[in-house]
Amino acid sequence: MASSEDDPTTQHDAQILSIDAGGTMTDTFLMDSNGEFTVGKAKTTPDDESRGFIKSSQDALEDWDLSVEEGFPDLVSTVYSGTAMLNRLVERESEVDVGILITGGMEDTLRMGRGRQSYTGYSYSDRLHVNTHKHPEPLIPRNRIRGVRERIDVKGNTLVPLYEDDVREGVNDLLDQGVDHIVVMFLHSYKNGEHEHRTAEIAREIIDERGAETSVMLSSEYYPTLKESERLNTVTAEAFAAEPSRDQLSNIQEAVDEQGGTVGVRVMASHGGTIDINANELARTLISGPIGGMIGANYFGQKLDYNNLVCTDIGGTSFDMGIIIDNDWQIDYSPEMARLLLSLPMVNMESVGAGTGSYVRVNPTFDKIELGPESAGDQVGVSAVETDVETVTVTDCHVAMGWINPENFLGGDMPIDREVAEQEIKEQIADPLDMGVYEAAQGVIDILESKLRNDLEAVVTGEGYAPSNFKCLSYGGGGPVHTAGYTKDLGFDEVLIPEWAAGFSAFGCGAADYEYRYDQTTSIDIDPDLSMEEAAATAGEALTEVWTNLEQKVENEFENSNIGRDEIDFQYNILGQYQGQLNSIDIESPVGRVDSPEKLEQLLDTFEEGYRRQYSEEARSPELGHTITQASVRGVRDVVKPEIPTEELQGPEPPADAYKETREAYWDGEWLDTEIYDLHALQPGNELSGPAVLEGAATTYALPPDCETRLDEHRVHHLTTTE
Amino acid sequence: MPESYPREHIEDLVDDNLEWNQLHDMMSDFKDADRFQQVRDVLQERVDWDDPIIIPYADHLYVVAKPDGRWVIKCDCGHEFCEHDENWKMDALINVRDSEEAYLEIYPEDMHPHPDYMELREFFCPGCNTLLEVTNVMPGYPLIHEFEPDIETFYSEWIEEPIPTPETESA
Repeated sequence: MASSEDDPTTQHDAQILSIDAGGTMTDTFLMDSNGEFTVGKAKTTPDDESRGFIKSSQDALEDWDLSVEEGFPDLVSTVYSGTAMLNRLVERESEVDVGILITGGMEDTLRMGRGRQSYTGYSYSDRLHVNTHKHPEPLIPRNRIRGVRERIDVKGNTLVPLYEDDVREGVNDLLDQGVDHIVVMFLHSYKNGEHEHRTAEIAREIIDERGAETSVMLSSEYYPTLKESERLNTVTAEAFAAEPSRDQLSNIQEAVDEQGGTVGVRVMASHGGTIDINANELARTLISGPIGGMIGANYFGQKLDYNNLVCTDIGGTSFDMGIIIDNDWQIDYSPEMARLLLSLPMVNMESVGAGTGSYVRVNPTFDKIELGPESAGDQVGVSAVETDVETVTVTDCHVAMGWINPENFLGGDMPIDREVAEQEIKEQIADPLDMGVYEAAQGVIDILESKLRNDLEAVVTGEGYAPSNFKCLSYGGGGPVHTAGYTKDLGFDEVLIPEWAAGFSAFGCGAADYEYRYDQTTSIDIDPDLSMEEAAATAGEALTEVWTNLEQKVENEFENSNIGRDEIDFQYNILGQYQGQLNSIDIESPVGRVDSPEKLEQLLDTFEEGYRRQYSEEARSPELGHTITQASVRGVRDVVKPEIPTEELQGPEPPADAYKETREAYWDGEWLDTEIYDLHALQPGNELSGPAVLEGAATTYALPPDCETRLDEHRVHHLTTTE
Repeated sequence: MPESYPREHIEDLVDDNLEWNQLHDMMSDFKDADRFQQVRDVLQERVDWDDPIIIPYADHLYVVAKPDGRWVIKCDCGHEFCEHDENWKMDALINVRDSEEAYLEIYPEDMHPHPDYMELREFFCPGCNTLLEVTNVMPGYPLIHEFEPDIETFYSEWIEEPIPTPETESA
């Protein structure tokens, strides 16, 4: 398989292992202490994921002439991410039965969901058209949902006491139905969890009496946040999709232990850190988007001193974009997964359904080229003769235009036939539109790249930022072939392409912190007429108490893995707003306690600064007072992370062995002699100008005629346009 | 996208037997070129009379071509309402619910419109008594002629086929 160098005689110590168990293949990314890496693949084994995991690790280790027994004892960091959990949600199928106790009158909350759930996750045109909207199937059937009379208001006051007989009846009924988990979700329990806790007591008594093995999960303990629909979805997902994966994860840990490994397996979580497999909240390891790249980009930025980055990732099926400002990403507090809105913190990314595998078709009604939204994914295209793809894809167009070398696709692992690509483009696209083959292929690429450019511009300027303040980072197997096209004329400060673009997401997983994060909805007002002393004694105390509780939860999670408080770095965040506003902004607090006037003032000053930066000086309105709508605590513990290579700079002239050949390629309507280089043989300091194609093991970097690239000492390419 | 779906798939579409994801795929994709003709064929096969269906008009109703050259609106039971450009509701049996009592036959208490503001009109086929349509309108509101298809344009410019006649269909 692909690896960073070809000399197998070097001794390697496998330090960092990151595994991505997908629906069909389990990919492994292995890195040694020198930052050299290799990749492995094996079929995913759904019955016992640990078998696929070991096979895939073996495949990677073989590149270094190591067996699993030899390699595993050296591991210092192992990060696992799998799709089994997400699949349970997508398929609405689980090994366990879940029952729900909910505030009486709210029994249909799951069924009604949110309006947005009838179209989230659909393509743009399906979101626009009402006839394609449909509410997803609820996770839990109605007969396993029981109402309990009780009511707590938005301020946490008890309006209707808990009817304990309703609880007993509901629990007995659910136990009669043989449920494995009982989820309890009462209105406003994030504010006051008393009724839920009392319900748990009663339920556990009955479960004990009846000798059942059912567990009880409370929404006020798991996800104490506003919005009952999202909260219920999330706790239910925890029981329905995440809990059944505990055994699988334990199997993985056992497999590591058996092979002599001493490292604790961690799982990638949506908030951008990794957590232990014994964590209480496992549902946050449900990840639908490729956040690994964002984590990698942030780490990359911290190490190389790039503060503001726009991250772009092109894979086979989608184009994903994210923004990093001052070395931190933004958090989406209500992400969508499997068409359900959840109440989890997730690294914010925008995703559009356009990638290198996107299908290209001529719309028969309008005679114009359309892309996607479906794609051939990892099946590449019609030119990949071993697959059964029948529709032309974007990659086929690149093959026809001579940008992609048919002999070198995925390092030659995937046979590609250029004649098939040309023939199919002619039949499916060029002939119906009365165009030449190459002209049509060029048209497809232009459409894709202008679409990506528009989406990218919308993500940056839509947030009120100017591209000139950002460096654009491009990665993903399909990224570098399009980078010049989709960044053209957008005015980024710089465009960066790491040589390991294809493995960047896996690199990111390895770079993730060991981090727990807890959030709680609050409604803490800081009225404008209070003195700082008064405010600190009231609101300051209240916020401090919430933070202390969350801190304790983080501490407890680390304790599960025998990590003490002194090893944890805490970070405190709030969502804050001026009183009466609808939207809050995310603020990292400079202090972890605000029970004194000085500390509270520091927090408020930070808020004002953040507000000024996001909106403007004129928009600030401190005279309205402030409200803190959410408090969060992040606890981070140091882990070993992948090294970013640093090499000595050489001259601008590439070494002779980096040059492979000169072949003709189609650039903007012309066939030009194009120099082909080996991406991995170039040396730091080398400079190249287009037209050129740089071929790597798992990616191709295309340099159009008006572009230049320079490889820096960290093996990162800097792409510029010559004007 | 298939240029044309198999016959069974179209039958399932007509019978509402498709899974949501199949239906969703059909709606999201480019339209199959022969959808109209296929659906028309399925519907034609299911009625007991021989007049060729020109277009499906509403649930249970069709515009058909008569041997004398007229186009009429016809129910699947065989009852013929009127010419294709007339309002079939004028010839239907109509039940009007305009009192508390009549509403309570089908609504729970306090869940129906006030009879002074809204009345419910139920249109039945005089041939088979099938409920064909329901409208909820203000008392005194006229019977609106809701749909007058432009059959010539549809056939000549949209699907580019000749309009069926009894002769072409039996041939």
